[in-house]
Amino acid sequence: MIKVNKLTQTYRSGKGVFDLDFNIKEGEVFGYLGPNGAGKTTTIRNLLGFTNADSGTATINGVDCRKDAAKLQGMIGYLPGEMAFLENMTGSEFLKFMGNMRKTKDAARRDQLIEYMELEPQGKIKKMSKGMKQKLGIITAFMHDPAVYILDEPSSGLDPFMQVKLMDLLREEKSRSKTIMMSSHIFEEVQMICDRAGIIRDGRIAAIEDVHSLNAMKQDHYIVSLADEEDLVKIMASTLETTVLEKNKVAISVGKNYREMFNLLAGCNVTGLESKYQSLEDVFMKYYGEDGENNK
Amino acid sequence: MERMAKTISSPLFKATLKSNWPIALGITLFILIYISTSISMFNPENAEFIESMLTVMPEGLMKALGFINLGTDLTHYLGNYLYGFIFLVFPFIYTSVVANRLIAKHVDRGSMSYLLSTPNTRVKVVTTQAVYLILSTSVIFIVLTGIAIAMSTGIWPGLLSIGLFTVLNLVTLAATLVVSGVSFLFSCIFSESRLSLAFGVGVPLLFVVCRMVHSLSEKIDWLKYLSVYTVVDVEKLLQGGPYALYVSLILIGVTMVLYGAAIFIFNKKSLII
Repeated sequence: MIKVNKLTQTYRSGKGVFDLDFNIKEGEVFGYLGPNGAGKTTTIRNLLGFTNADSGTATINGVDCRKDAAKLQGMIGYLPGEMAFLENMTGSEFLKFMGNMRKTKDAARRDQLIEYMELEPQGKIKKMSKGMKQKLGIITAFMHDPAVYILDEPSSGLDPFMQVKLMDLLREEKSRSKTIMMSSHIFEEVQMICDRAGIIRDGRIAAIEDVHSLNAMKQDHYIVSLADEEDLVKIMASTLETTVLEKNKVAISVGKNYREMFNLLAGCNVTGLESKYQSLEDVFMKYYGEDGENNK
Repeated sequence: MERMAKTISSPLFKATLKSNWPIALGITLFILIYISTSISMFNPENAEFIESMLTVMPEGLMKALGFINLGTDLTHYLGNYLYGFIFLVFPFIYTSVVANRLIAKHVDRGSMSYLLSTPNTRVKVVTTQAVYLILSTSVIFIVLTGIAIAMSTGIWPGLLSIGLFTVLNLVTLAATLVVSGVSFLFSCIFSESRLSLAFGVGVPLLFVVCRMVHSLSEKIDWLKYLSVYTVVDVEKLLQGGPYALYVSLILIGVTMVLYGAAIFIFNKKSLII
């Protein structure tokens, strides 16, 4: 469905994407991950036909994304990473405008989405909060019932409750065998929705994995505070992966060996236990190392 | 009409009209104030007196502002009073500002991504914006010319040569359209609004300045070749004759080339949006 073939695009700064090669199958949900500035948005700009690549191609359904962009736009639902709507329009006016630009005749889906996402479309867009703008962007991307979704950080700016609703919406589109490409920073999000995930680093694909192997990679991190310094020695001596933070604080990384951690901690005088958030990029980085080579 | 409907997008045209009409109205009202004061200030009996008074003023200043020969008839009076400065500067301010808003600002802000993520080709989007700029500028001139003719014939029946006055306006419009094409081209070339605006205002301003100062000295007379506005030669146009027709045809040709180039460049351009 989506085919990126040896795509290279260099900016004057030397950044860009280099020899990018990946495919997304019809009906597949593909998570696209990478640190800021890695080239995610550059890839998306090429898929939308905004930029001219130095070499290589991007096609959707065999149609060239740059040359025949207008032919593809009707089947693409695009959510930009940075929201820039038309100034001075209200939410309703903007949705109506986009509907007219796409010649969408049926407004039923749009109205359902407004209700579902709890958008208040009456106000001027420039007065809207970040979350409200994100909802407007999501409705704009979904309302014409496209076959392909290209979503740049769809859950950013949404509160946790709306994030869950968005996940449900994406799951529904997935069940209707839509093709989805989304970039994300949140592990759980990718874990829940995506079939495969690709990570891009410095403009190159570092890895493409199915989400099952991602799950195996994931490690949870706990920061344990201890009353006795002797317990620190005990923990360090265990087979668990540990890092000493302070003289009575240690970070423990756990994969599936929770039993080992609990057995060990049961014998210690623990005064505090907190879990440390780890982004998906962190997981990948750790797994693939700084040089991008697989060093497991 | 049907072909027109295919090359431009009517929802986009409407949206553009909605967010830009106040600028057109503002400029129209502003110029209208000048028109109505100058028409009401005209007095066939003391026009000669005003003219003799103006000779007291420094000649250079008068020349620069285009008050070389205010004339004793209404057509020459309006021609010299309005078409040396006011009818050049204010329309170009309009076209420069709007040209920047139509393309470069959308690209700079990123809202162009929404326009292009619909099944409309780039050519269609940019043509729609170009048509808006050309049409709105023409409407401003038509409205102003109409009001000026109506006021003149109302206050001074029979004194205005409507034909020559209309020709003068049409040629001024054609020159303004060339200038709008220059600004529109810059709007399509630059992805940053500030650059588009700097060049889109700067180059027309250069045209106006060249036209204003070239007559001050023989030595800088060559400056007139740098300005589109030099062809708006009020004296020559009000003499009648084929000059107006030749000039208009050339100006329309240049306008088409400029807009064509703008559309071509925007279609080929790599947009970081």
